[in-house]
Amino acid sequence: MQLDRRQFLKLTGLAGAGLLGAGALTPAKARLGKGAGQGPFAEGAWLASCCNMCGGQTGIMCQVVDGRLVRIKPNVHNPNGFSNISEDFFANAATEGAVMCPKGNAGIMALYDPDRLKTPLRRTTPEKGIGVDPGWKAISWEEAYGEIVSRLKALRESGEAHKLLWFSEDHSFTHVQADFCKLYGTPNYNMHSNLCDVGRKASFKILMGDERPLIDAINARYMLIFGWNPLSATKWAHLPRIVTRGIEQGAKLVVVDPHLSYTASKAHEWIPIRPGTDGALALALAHVILRDGLYDTAFVNEWVTGFEPFKDYVKDKTPQWAGEITTVPAERIEKLAREFAGTKPALVDVWSGTHHSNGVYAGWAIGALAAITGNIEKPGTLVMPEAKGGKHIEVEADETAKNTLKQPRLDGGKDRWPYFHKSGVYTEIINRLGDGNTPYQPKMAMVVFQNLLMSVMGTKNVEKALKTLEFIVVVDTMMSETAEFADIVLPGTTYLERYDLNTHWVTWPVVGLRQPVVQPLFGQPAESEFVCELGRRMGLKEANGNDLFRLGRMSGQNIEDKSRWYEEWLSKELKEGEPKMTLEELKNLPGATWVSTKGTRYHKHLDVIPPEKMADSIVEGGLVFSKKKDGSKDKPLGMVRADGTAVRGFLTPSGKVELYAAKHEGKKNAEGEPLKLLPEYEPRQWQPSAEYPLYLINWKEASQTHSRTQNNAFLAELKVTDGLRINTKTAASLGIRSGDWIWVESPHGRIKMRAELTEGIHPEVVGTQHGWGHWAMGRTAKGRGAHTGFLAPTQADPISGQALNKEICVRLSKA
Amino acid sequence: MAAEALCDRAAGSPDPQVETIVDRAMDRKVFLKLTGLTTLALLTLRPGQVLAMGTAPPAVKKRRYGMAIDLKRCVACRACTMACKLENKTPPGMFYTRVDEEELGEYPNVRRRSIPTPCLHCENPPCVPACPIQATFKRENDGIVVVDYEKCKGLGACVTACPYGARALDLGDSYHEGKSEFNKIPSDEYGKKWVREDGQPPIGKVRKCTFCTHLQDGQGNYTDLPACARTCMGKAIHFGDLSDPASEVSQLLGQRPWVRLKEELGTRPSVYYLV
Repeated sequence: MQLDRRQFLKLTGLAGAGLLGAGALTPAKARLGKGAGQGPFAEGAWLASCCNMCGGQTGIMCQVVDGRLVRIKPNVHNPNGFSNISEDFFANAATEGAVMCPKGNAGIMALYDPDRLKTPLRRTTPEKGIGVDPGWKAISWEEAYGEIVSRLKALRESGEAHKLLWFSEDHSFTHVQADFCKLYGTPNYNMHSNLCDVGRKASFKILMGDERPLIDAINARYMLIFGWNPLSATKWAHLPRIVTRGIEQGAKLVVVDPHLSYTASKAHEWIPIRPGTDGALALALAHVILRDGLYDTAFVNEWVTGFEPFKDYVKDKTPQWAGEITTVPAERIEKLAREFAGTKPALVDVWSGTHHSNGVYAGWAIGALAAITGNIEKPGTLVMPEAKGGKHIEVEADETAKNTLKQPRLDGGKDRWPYFHKSGVYTEIINRLGDGNTPYQPKMAMVVFQNLLMSVMGTKNVEKALKTLEFIVVVDTMMSETAEFADIVLPGTTYLERYDLNTHWVTWPVVGLRQPVVQPLFGQPAESEFVCELGRRMGLKEANGNDLFRLGRMSGQNIEDKSRWYEEWLSKELKEGEPKMTLEELKNLPGATWVSTKGTRYHKHLDVIPPEKMADSIVEGGLVFSKKKDGSKDKPLGMVRADGTAVRGFLTPSGKVELYAAKHEGKKNAEGEPLKLLPEYEPRQWQPSAEYPLYLINWKEASQTHSRTQNNAFLAELKVTDGLRINTKTAASLGIRSGDWIWVESPHGRIKMRAELTEGIHPEVVGTQHGWGHWAMGRTAKGRGAHTGFLAPTQADPISGQALNKEICVRLSKA
Repeated sequence: MAAEALCDRAAGSPDPQVETIVDRAMDRKVFLKLTGLTTLALLTLRPGQVLAMGTAPPAVKKRRYGMAIDLKRCVACRACTMACKLENKTPPGMFYTRVDEEELGEYPNVRRRSIPTPCLHCENPPCVPACPIQATFKRENDGIVVVDYEKCKGLGACVTACPYGARALDLGDSYHEGKSEFNKIPSDEYGKKWVREDGQPPIGKVRKCTFCTHLQDGQGNYTDLPACARTCMGKAIHFGDLSDPASEVSQLLGQRPWVRLKEELGTRPSVYYLV
């Protein structure tokens, strides 16, 4: 049925999305012959692996001909890249096929990038700073190891092992790095997550005792998304498919975001909002739902605690109140609340939209909407994952290491941040290094695939902080802004040249293998082997005398070959983990992926605690705890229902979903303020002023990952614009035309950007895609766009340590 | 650059009948800046004929490959553009399939629309008669429009004749200098091995989307989906035989409303957009 113009506009125009309704489903039929036994796909070998162009770990298949990677395609056997709900994977993967994002397709250009680091480099210029030429001199691996190990040894031997800071990527060979740090004796092992989602983790931990519930978009009938762009910031490669499938099956999608993201664009409704006010909107929605009795009485009665104080708190959080704060019209809030509460199942979620100083409470308030409407742990709602994979085998530090492990973490750790995450608090580390207000002065940093200058806001602060360190080692595939502060830079491997085990973004047990599909191009060690070599040269041992970095974990024999040593390491993690198989066995599975047939389970809070566990437990105040050896109370196991059955419940202090957090009583955040007992709205700290009247935000798009893929020659062609998006009316009021060079200025600095005019951004907000503005990366990345880190302070949310990547105010002027 | 030339031509289209959504929605230059597009699909919407289905039973081996691209599923990620590059090893600046984008409406009633645009493999392709040496043609057996690299002299008449900007001349640019590992990987187009070397085809030839013909077996069946459809994150790109009423693409076109680009030109594209 071909349409005429009017019909087409009606269907695709502003009001028309979704008019086709559920009758417009695309049949998922098997399509084309799979006899790939001939033609170019029959050449060489196909190796199954996992992508790492971002943190999504999508399954990939790599074709290698004559030792050269020639193709990458989606790996249909690997749910890491396909789905977070098992029924979708089992039902659709085979017929519909898997997917791969643009970055995954461009992985070949990361591998064969001519700007890759090929040998270790030593700096010859003692001075460090942005723009200072390090005077690189190529050195041998032997020389590099010699220097690094002698530095490490000197620290450890003088009882200063804690003065080593370690920064790492969060999804790659983290266990071996964490174990090295433990046996070496530094408590300062950090990784990326605190730049990403620890704010969200804290919100949901407070609410429901789970750090990372995932959405079941396939089964939802309503999706209310705050500050998240899943269709474009595609860490899960499958999200575009599952969200659009949800829509095809009749769900309505509403996106709250200051910027018309691609997700907002696909939504039935885009609700532009002032940055940092999402919490106020959520509370007003709760106000309407409670005022009008639209909540789920049964769920609230049994599974929600703090309902009355919450209801009391939102009594005056009217749509009018929120309208003034958020700029969302009151009548729209009323309508949204009724729709959301009136459609079941509905999901509500938020991710990096809460990178503001009030973000944790905002996330909690958003989560509260799920709680009062009973949209938790049911199909089509927020689901707690059971994503088990390989097991991190515990090691015990020796006495020397234990002495320095007792030292406080530089960021203050749990004592300072009530919802501290093991990834640390990068902003705090940078600030403490910079101002010297530390319990001790760190001396050395090992930076593995982290570009602190570009990823931590407050670039000048990062510069100052790095200058205080005596010795910095950076491992990366490419020169970076941070690597320019290194004393030694080591060429890293890409994900196509190394191993890892991947269990990510799924709600049931799965392990996908990443394996070297080609050997490291420049003969460099994979990072696991680099760490292993450091451990060996240091002579690090476990408390029981085991030579961790030489002992084969499967064979129990010393293994000289470090690749084989690491293969046994992974085998042990697999054997002791969920798959109960060796690395070799995993390699031989289809797609080198182990998938539990158990699948996604819902209603896990109703899981009955097995009698044998109950027999060895302590029941106290309706809660069930496991017992320590000495008979004292250990970890929470669950709670006792009204009918007397003991069930898992939610892993909060009350065993229920918490709208009132009694656990916060008497606790303080990192700034010394008492933790709030309710998900209260408070304005974020940095508000626009007459001098700096505009909010500056940043976002991610499918074409790049963080600040690390900008040198990829394929990807660089996808988004050649990297300017500042400004609402056309705002620009007009400032006399700015599209394409003008403009100064973007805050009290912290100014950067020059091109103006990009759009109707798709809130008039009080300007924004850009994060990651551009490199000055030290390779030839493709350099000189494109600008880095907003120069405009921001270095600051974290005081509850979780989440970096505040979006709390910036600026003014614009023509350059 | 050929792409820029195409863009100018598109912007200054002499055809008064050709009205574009882009033109109406916003300033074209703004749009170009915003999206970094090289060429724009001039999406025009005219009443046209309903796709004839099942009128003539197809011969066993005769096919008419085409696509039904679901614009409701396209999220403008451009995985298709990248997968195509990886599959066909096209040079910098050349995209067999691109994703054109439009911003529609005014704040706050605004949305973005994305339109993946490969070669449309028209039933009546203007590029074919434009070639003075018959180096480009529509294949009898499956309707795919191809370029014979042995014959093509890079004259470029087909490039300007294509109303969709689907063709470009390979000027010999490479992502890497010399014999880099990447440059050593041949393109498999048309079932041959095209190594990127100065003076050797496809350098100097006109290139375009081939529907990944090199993935066909000897009987014209595909051993895997064309790269764009294979990778598509929204599974928006459906590929198959339009002449087979039972094929997924035919079924979809029977069930869903669709449009084709610049219907009024009479090109009768084999790529349909489900809306």
